[in-house]
Amino acid sequence: MSDNAESPTENQKDDPSIQHTATEHTGSSDEKKKIDVLLKAVGDTPIMKTKKWSVESGRTVQSLAQFISRFLKLDPSEQLFIYVNQSFAPSPDQEVGALFECFGSDGKLVLHYCKSQAWG
Amino acid sequence: MAAERNPASCYLDERTFRLCCQLFLQHSETIQDGWSWEQIKGTDEGFMKKTLLIPVKSSVLHKQHECSMQDENMVTDDTQANVEDETAGVQAVCEIHAVLRYEYHVLYSFSYQIPVLYFRASTLDGRPLSLEEVWGNVHPNYRQRLQQGPWDTLTQQDHPLLGQPFFMLHPCRTEEFMKPALDLAQAENKRVNYIVTWLSVVGPVIRLDVPLSYSTEVSAPD
Repeated sequence: MSDNAESPTENQKDDPSIQHTATEHTGSSDEKKKIDVLLKAVGDTPIMKTKKWSVESGRTVQSLAQFISRFLKLDPSEQLFIYVNQSFAPSPDQEVGALFECFGSDGKLVLHYCKSQAWG
Repeated sequence: MAAERNPASCYLDERTFRLCCQLFLQHSETIQDGWSWEQIKGTDEGFMKKTLLIPVKSSVLHKQHECSMQDENMVTDDTQANVEDETAGVQAVCEIHAVLRYEYHVLYSFSYQIPVLYFRASTLDGRPLSLEEVWGNVHPNYRQRLQQGPWDTLTQQDHPLLGQPFFMLHPCRTEEFMKPALDLAQAENKRVNYIVTWLSVVGPVIRLDVPLSYSTEVSAPD
């Protein structure tokens, strides 16, 4: 995912590490291992039309949060919170692969996300 | 404690605060996560405490403005080292020039009826960090949004029990991130340990990570 191109119409197919699960699985090495992530909105946070994503296991929570924020076109003053296991916020530096090992079931990782106003 | 259709309360009474802390501390003991309970002598007031050594680029200490740009790139490249969190995958270590000492205190606020995170930071030779330097060390994931708001989100405040100058993350927005988590858990008929959930959100803002095992191993108080 390139953080330079901030175009709101960024085509996610150009992003090799976050793909719609409709694409076939690629890669055999652990680095390229993909995790199936199911994103669920909480409260009045906008719902993503595409909920299932195939994410590289080495991707961090922060990087995923940035992706969701851009996808939903959130205002810079809005903070995105991500929860795993319903009520736990993983550290932004945590890798998706580690979350899957801990909380994955039925071959996928469920993450809830919620937007809120800036702090303060 | 299991409310039927009412939304879960974002407030915490002091007794539940203590019980949550006790359960939290038991797990910390198990995994040697370094938390302890400090009781104020002669009172029944106390708080949870943990000290952390955090490696930073020396630019954090001297050039805050340039640093925020560098840190954005740093995190995008996943090169930030975190010595404390053993559950995260080991990532490439960036150039480390300094180590800072952060001391975190989890207190109960009677006026807000929720926990509050206080902390102080210094270099290893004991020089306290300025507010600007502490800002420079806020996790990039949160820094931009925090800076969008007024500066009093991260403030200098005398520690209510020790009377010494500390920094504090203002608790006024606690409900905004606690409510979703509490509602989600309630929808699944799960009870949560308030402190585990709360700290997992606020801690990483100021470089305090909560290992994943707290989520599965710490129960809610009865």
